Amino acid sequence: MAKESTTIDIGEPSTVTKSTNHDVVDEKKKSFVTAAAGGGYKRGLAILDFLLRLAAIGITIGASSVMFTAEETLPFFTQFLQFQAGYDDFPTFQFFVIAIAIVASYLVLSLPFSIVTIVRPLAVAPRLILLISDTVVLTLTTAAAAAAASIVYLAHNGNANTNWLPICQQFGDFCQTTSTAVVAASISVVFFILLIVISAIALKKH
Amino acid sequence: MKNESTIIDVPAESRSAMKGSAPLIGEARDHTTSGSSGYKRGLSIFDFLLRLAAIIAASVAAGTMFTSDETLPFFTQFLQFQAGYDDLPTFQFFVIAMSMISGYLVLSLPFSVVTIVRPLATAPRLLLLVLDTAVMAFNMAAASSAAAIAYLAHNGNQNTNWLPICQQFEDFCQKTSGAVVSSFVSVVFFVILVVLSGVALKRH
Repeated sequence: MAKESTTIDIGEPSTVTKSTNHDVVDEKKKSFVTAAAGGGYKRGLAILDFLLRLAAIGITIGASSVMFTAEETLPFFTQFLQFQAGYDDFPTFQFFVIAIAIVASYLVLSLPFSIVTIVRPLAVAPRLILLISDTVVLTLTTAAAAAAASIVYLAHNGNANTNWLPICQQFGDFCQTTSTAVVAASISVVFFILLIVISAIALKKH
Repeated sequence: MKNESTIIDVPAESRSAMKGSAPLIGEARDHTTSGSSGYKRGLSIFDFLLRLAAIIAASVAAGTMFTSDETLPFFTQFLQFQAGYDDLPTFQFFVIAMSMISGYLVLSLPFSVVTIVRPLATAPRLLLLVLDTAVMAFNMAAASSAAAIAYLAHNGNQNTNWLPICQQFEDFCQKTSGAVVSSFVSVVFFVILVVLSGVALKRH
């Protein structure tokens, strides 16, 4: 068995060199440089995350309150239809108000975690918690928005095959208000998708 | 500048033997991540299996809704005596959406295989996570809008005079409800897939 010998110099270079020297101080300097550079763009992503959360809070509170106050009373009587329409006439809209309110309060509670990711950009645990809980809340938001959208579509168009009459022809204001609430909830869904993608990009190692 | 020298004896053996007996010079990769590549590979295999299960759930949902036709053996004056998924635009959207989701899942299987073969690569995982999130939202939208219509078909709405049609079309209602439940199951699979990709992405 032939043996080869090699001599490795362990010194203290004054500059950072790209040789095969195993220099402990050099390694520490390099890792610190890459950590600071990684922390820079991750901090930017965390700030963007925080701003998106603030915008999503505004929109979800708006959607929930718009749907909550969507009442209309017709000035005349009709024989077959009720002359009042409110969100509580539709179980789907009740679910919408409650679900979007829960989403808004979740977003407020997640703001401290977002601040932690700004302060400590390289910490993995807060980002992972935010990613997991954002995914769950995204499903809740999408469920509320889509179910309300299908009822709004039915209210606008009705269904000839099942003899469901479109109520928007009588309750124009009510339909407009509920449609606005559904659109706002859909925008918040887009915000949530962006939040999840930001968390994922910030999580991956660099 | 103080210099220290040390002499290290390098035995000239075969490459594979060197890898086994001289870990300081044999590894081409950072050996601190060899442990994490093991568990990441396990996560990727679990991801692949979940994708297969989600394909089954999504295609079952689409197929059940597509074949949920029912024809009543008698005539009624006011209601149509046939019911199918194409009578309700929301159910049409449901069938098309679940078919697209099944197609997406089949197309994403190669990317999942890539993450099994290369557990430390982040680009395929990030792509899968982003696409999975969007498709999960799409799946949830289809599932919950169909659920709202199914609820309406079961219970009706007294305030708007919308009659529940399930009292006449029982089989149709059962099949559509089953399709909606299967679609919700595929949403749960998607949530787990997204969380898996997130956990596998993080540095170790």
